[in-house]
Amino acid sequence: MKAKFSDYLSGIKVGLQQMIGILRKEYDYVSVLATDSHGFAARISQRSRSVGGKTMTTERGIVVRVCKSGQYAEYAFNKFDPSAPEKAATEIAGALEAQLIMLKLAGVKTYKTPLLPDEEQTLFVEKETQQLPETADIKALVEKLGEISDKGMTLNENAIECIVSAQSTHICKMFLTEQRDLCQSYVYSEGAIFMVVNREGNTQVAYESVSGLGGPELFDGLEGKLDKAALTCAELLDAERIEPGEYEIIASPEVTGLIAHEAFGHGVEMDMFVKNRALGKDYIGKRVGSDKCTMHEGALCAENVTSYAFDDEGTLAGDVTEIDHGILKTGICDALSALRLGVQPTGNGKRENFEHKVYTRMTNTMFDSGTDSLEDMIASIRHGYLLEGMESGMEDPKHWGIQCIIKMGREIKDGKLTGKVVAPIIMTGYVPDLLGGISMLSPHREVFGSGGCGKGYKEWVKVADGGPYLKTKARLG
Amino acid sequence: MLEKIKQILNASGVYGWEINDVKKNGWEFYFIRHELDQHRAKNVEHVTVKVYQMAEDGESIGFASEEIAPTASEQEIEKTVSDLAYRATLVKNRPFTLTPPSEEKAAEGKASDIADISADFIRAVSELPETEGEDINSYEIFVSDVIHRLITSTGIDETEHYPSSMIEVVVNARREGHEIELYRNYESGSCDAAGLKRDLIKTMNYGRDRLIAEPTPVNGKIDVLFSTDNACQIYSYFSERMNAALVYRQMSDYEIGKSICDDFTGDKVTVKALRELANSSENHAFDEEGAVIRDTVMIEDGIAKQFVGGRMFSCYLGLENSFNPTNIEVTGGTRTEQELRTGKYLEAVEFSDFQVDEITGDIFGEIRLAYLHDGDKVVPVTGGSLSGSMNDFIGSMLMSKNSVQYNSMKIPALTLLRNVTVTGADN
Repeated sequence: MKAKFSDYLSGIKVGLQQMIGILRKEYDYVSVLATDSHGFAARISQRSRSVGGKTMTTERGIVVRVCKSGQYAEYAFNKFDPSAPEKAATEIAGALEAQLIMLKLAGVKTYKTPLLPDEEQTLFVEKETQQLPETADIKALVEKLGEISDKGMTLNENAIECIVSAQSTHICKMFLTEQRDLCQSYVYSEGAIFMVVNREGNTQVAYESVSGLGGPELFDGLEGKLDKAALTCAELLDAERIEPGEYEIIASPEVTGLIAHEAFGHGVEMDMFVKNRALGKDYIGKRVGSDKCTMHEGALCAENVTSYAFDDEGTLAGDVTEIDHGILKTGICDALSALRLGVQPTGNGKRENFEHKVYTRMTNTMFDSGTDSLEDMIASIRHGYLLEGMESGMEDPKHWGIQCIIKMGREIKDGKLTGKVVAPIIMTGYVPDLLGGISMLSPHREVFGSGGCGKGYKEWVKVADGGPYLKTKARLG
Repeated sequence: MLEKIKQILNASGVYGWEINDVKKNGWEFYFIRHELDQHRAKNVEHVTVKVYQMAEDGESIGFASEEIAPTASEQEIEKTVSDLAYRATLVKNRPFTLTPPSEEKAAEGKASDIADISADFIRAVSELPETEGEDINSYEIFVSDVIHRLITSTGIDETEHYPSSMIEVVVNARREGHEIELYRNYESGSCDAAGLKRDLIKTMNYGRDRLIAEPTPVNGKIDVLFSTDNACQIYSYFSERMNAALVYRQMSDYEIGKSICDDFTGDKVTVKALRELANSSENHAFDEEGAVIRDTVMIEDGIAKQFVGGRMFSCYLGLENSFNPTNIEVTGGTRTEQELRTGKYLEAVEFSDFQVDEITGDIFGEIRLAYLHDGDKVVPVTGGSLSGSMNDFIGSMLMSKNSVQYNSMKIPALTLLRNVTVTGADN
């Protein structure tokens, strides 16, 4: 079925267009992003259960962007009366003028930016989904999640908790200017299993997830993740600490995705180029990885949690080749940064929600696949580790440092897995060294969209990343 | 609108309900260098309704929550309440009682002048002593005047009015064509201009040192001294493990009246939840469920004294007067700075992202700047990482007597973890 577009947004569209017309008399540019996204989140464990209507991306509100004499400003609100557009326009202009008075008193100078183009464009997208979160059978889902939690507890004798979560969100967004009328509606869902074990004071947690573009039907895949979670828990309880040092590594697709995200995801967000906060700006056209290294980024790269039709500035979704056989080709860019840099926007202008500013943000960040089998990769390693499970990561685009927290490593010696597991692992290094060391890639790729991404320590948005098994060298501790 | 929601909830026959109404009037300013990139204003209201349903046999209770848009029609509100009432019957938790009203009333507070607070932040950053080598790359200012009202079916009706601020600052340092950045994010009530400038000047000095830092040479174990806000992660580990949710779920093995460590050879922490800390952004009289926040000793001299947490898990543990803590104070240090700064140790001041896992106790961090001290010799180093487990550090941890405050946490100014595994950068 089609994910039906919001009746609420359809109902306020004319009022918003009238408001835009009124504001255009005062401002050189006016756009509106209106959102109405609903969903549910269920979390079932052995000791507590909850159901809520809030997910990371549920929201209803409006943000107005204006520009006057090269100065951009925004006003976010969530009480709009479509029968009184004049009142809203007066409120917006008044609030922004009050800020300008303070700024003038403080002697603040403007960072002038060219005017955003406004060419005629209409788009109405309702993506396919099997189910909608608003009509999902929550009772059946809660019972199913409970059964999965119960079953999880039987799979490991040391299990003390098995938390199963599921959330689904129906995103509806409308972008309007004098010339543009874009509407989109799609559903994404994500589910996860957190299995917790304890043996003699040693507590370990395993995490498995499912995610994708689609409705609650995706949760059918959760139960199949239980065995892996239980096995990981058992292995973590017996894991040893790694001897710190530099090793040959094979990143599993999940870890490959983490490397993609942290290495040349944040590093080529071009709003960082505007601020001179990323080394990547000076490396366009230069080698940053091995010949085997090709990376894509964009909402069109994969069908996952952030595969929208247009971004939060009304730029249509794209698919950018960031690194082509080791050569950095371009970055990703929001609309205002593109104007400042004299390039085309790539459809990567995203907000945490309507209350937040747009930044250049990732969507699907993926390494391309190769032709090497995992078996051949393992056989090629004298002493190294197969890394599995991602915990978190952090980048340093100005210095190209990288930190990846990884769940565990399987020791490889003389071309064979020894059965020894080390955990946890912190992988650090210099990004060009890490990417320069890529020597083998498997044919099969996986995408993971169950996490969120911050800019610094705020502005959380949904992202997805992934790739194939990947062999390189890294420093592990 | 709140009255209409109350009427609909009362007429719905649900077991109980809570309404959290948060109104936010916010100003934001985004600067590139010292030029204004964008200014933003917001005027929003978020009404979240939580509905409780007790099973007919009294053997279980369920709850469900949802945000109701301030523009919602009466029909939409009725539909939402009806959906919540049904969904709450689907989740069956052990019974617990809802938070009762307290005789203690919150001080309502007053409106904040967000223009004045914003101007204070802009002035503070403009007054920083920038040089050719160290300056401000960009900064973002967020100032809000917040009104939070909580109404519950048990009779709680409390309102708090307070300022909430945050500033993100990126500092650049450069030398011989090489430029690096340091990131800072400060939360507070209003603008603490003096504290902000003091810390940013220190940050600029760190930037200067990072440019001349050598690759971290250590590969093995060394004492690590924490002298910046990264230490908050270490102390959050203790307060999180005293949280009722973690205890009830058996993810924390702390027991009341028992030591949190079998063998103390170092300092013993005392951890307190505080209702107020000067200019904290987390100064609240009650939590989101209406429980009164009280000054409470959670851990005293290394002995677990009082678990705290949300209503459900607190009831399960039989806790009286429990609440979700906001501000935390940690004491227990017995050493002077001079006593802690002796011998060979690594003073880690900048990480990519220092983390302490409250469940497993694992600690991690890629080192962006540390100082390798050996007697009088001090060498700035960068790269590599440190790792280990809090389980191995608690017993021998040392702390300074003097304290420092980072927004909602007041902690010892210096914290020394013994024998931390460090992976060097020059191997």
